[in-house]
Amino acid sequence: MSLELSDVTVALGSGDARTTVLDGVCARFSPGTVTALVGPSGSGKSTLLAVAGALLRPDDGQVLLDGRDLAALGDSQRARVRREHIGYMFQSGNLLSGLTAVEQLLAAASIAGRRPRRLRHRAEELLAAVGVGHRLTHRAEQLSGGERQRVALARALLLAPALLLVDEPTAAVDRSQAGTLTELIAASTHEHGCVTVVATHDPAVSEVADHRLDMAALTGAATGARRADQP
Amino acid sequence: MLLPLLELRAARGRFVLMGTVVLLVAALVGTVSGFTTGLTDDTVSALRRLPATHVAFSPDAKTDQFARSLVDERTLRGWRGQDGLEAAPLGVSLTRGTSDRGAEVDMAAFGVEPGSFLDPGADRGAPLGTEPDGIVISQDLVDEGLRVGDTVVVDRLGIKLPVTGVTGHSAYGHVPVAYLPVDTWQRLRFSTPGAPAGPSAEVPRQYSAIALRADDGAGLTGTDRELGTRTVPLKDSYAAAPGYSGERITMTSIQAFLYVIGPLVVGSFFSVWTVQRQPELALLRALGASRRRLLGHTLLQAGVVVVAGTAAGGALAAGIGLLVGGAVPFSLPAATLLTALAAFALVGLAGTALTLRRVTRSDPMTMLGANR
Ligand SMILES: Nc1ncnc2c1ncn2[C@@H]1O[C@H](COP(=O)(O)OP(=O)(O)O)[C@@H](O)[C@H]1O
Ligand SMILES: [Mg+2]
Repeated sequence: MSLELSDVTVALGSGDARTTVLDGVCARFSPGTVTALVGPSGSGKSTLLAVAGALLRPDDGQVLLDGRDLAALGDSQRARVRREHIGYMFQSGNLLSGLTAVEQLLAAASIAGRRPRRLRHRAEELLAAVGVGHRLTHRAEQLSGGERQRVALARALLLAPALLLVDEPTAAVDRSQAGTLTELIAASTHEHGCVTVVATHDPAVSEVADHRLDMAALTGAATGARRADQP
Repeated sequence: MLLPLLELRAARGRFVLMGTVVLLVAALVGTVSGFTTGLTDDTVSALRRLPATHVAFSPDAKTDQFARSLVDERTLRGWRGQDGLEAAPLGVSLTRGTSDRGAEVDMAAFGVEPGSFLDPGADRGAPLGTEPDGIVISQDLVDEGLRVGDTVVVDRLGIKLPVTGVTGHSAYGHVPVAYLPVDTWQRLRFSTPGAPAGPSAEVPRQYSAIALRADDGAGLTGTDRELGTRTVPLKDSYAAAPGYSGERITMTSIQAFLYVIGPLVVGSFFSVWTVQRQPELALLRALGASRRRLLGHTLLQAGVVVVAGTAAGGALAAGIGLLVGGAVPFSLPAATLLTALAAFALVGLAGTALTLRRVTRSDPMTMLGANR
């Protein structure tokens, strides 16, 4: 599965606060590669992920996931794409309150129409892999910020999605954990052949990535000439 | 299925609280409907069991007709002369007496012609007409200490009424019923305390009303005009029983309030809860849950709370009924309870419907807002 954005334009806010966040963005992402989306805070990284993740419909342009234009889909069809093909770790606000770490993953599986019971073992493995194996039955409120983000990453990986979107995975963790998480993202990308886009301002992450895409190069005048996967 | 149950568990404190409120309101619904049935029963069960279709009163009586109305023998003969119906005289009055074993009882004296279609017969003992002035008492009077073989002396009048038989449950205006031969009833109704009592005394040949068994009510108005009576269907005559209308209005309005309170309470709980979990709803939408699915979850949760709370409330009401049933007019047949509770659960769920729009309106894009 491949992902291609062409001439994507997004304006956010209303009235005087309305700003063009993405202006004619073109980018292509290939399966089995990790693309680091870098740029300063406020440069539109999260917005771009939201567009790619079928959360946000662009004002203009196309978002082609395996040739299908997400921008042209209706509300419920986009929800379907999200639950069936996309693993998403949001920048924050990832967990359902009152549910344990394992249940966060099983709930997502159940939304995707999968049998939660069959995935419990896999869920526990993944939680151990992101380093919260000792917190399986802790509820969201009982986890630290970094632990929550790691649970969210495990959830994004659980169903081996075709498109993996990760927003600031290392913002709340220490250096060595950051390394573990980045390697995990890279390993599962290469293993499952998914399209992976990681928004980050952490150089350690962009070093591990297969490609590096600077927001500064993406926004501005739309030429359609910039390609993410061109070296 | 997993997710709504996990959410229920996560917020179990609140749901238990809510369920308890539903339980208490449902118990109140059950109890009130038990009292409604019980009171109605205690007021009009004697009328309800009359095997008549209509009752003809004298036209001057507008309220409390059984006590006020008087019709004479000529009118009775007139009604008996009509085609397509049967007519039987009925006397109704409230009295009190003392049995030879010392039991003091209030009685609603129902005078009927032995052998007429109003004659209740006897489940135990002998029916009316087997003994002069012999009466057949309702089960309720047995509960008050009378039995076959007793003789009840009517207070102040001194008329002696031997109890010959017992029939089933029958009460009128919260007073247990005794059936008398109609001429005995006339003596009881028209005698003056202190005046010589006995078969010899001259009493008016009058009745409270004429019970009719008509094939259809079509021709009755014409006969009414001809004979100077006012005929109403049996059901409408319930309102003539003392206290009936007042009790009905009271109980019905209490029930109406409960049926409004229930959905409002449940509805506001779910609306507050939905507002509070907007972040969760947005996250679920962002993870790909459809609006339909979130709706279903909320309905399922409401169903669990409402059904469990209502069922427990029903059990509580039934328990209350068992505890107080003997002492007060409380009657809660399973069908009545189930109907009341099913209606309550339905309006309770309808209350949740008020909040459904909020559930579907949650915007997954707020996940992006949470990002900064
Ligand atoms: N609802 C909104 N109204 C107006 N501006 C917004 C809104 N949401 C985001 N923005 C703007 O969009 C820009 C990009 O935001 P974001 O994609 O979160 O950047 P990043 O993730 O790179 O920090 C920011 O400058 C932000 O102020
Ligand atoms: Mg961001």
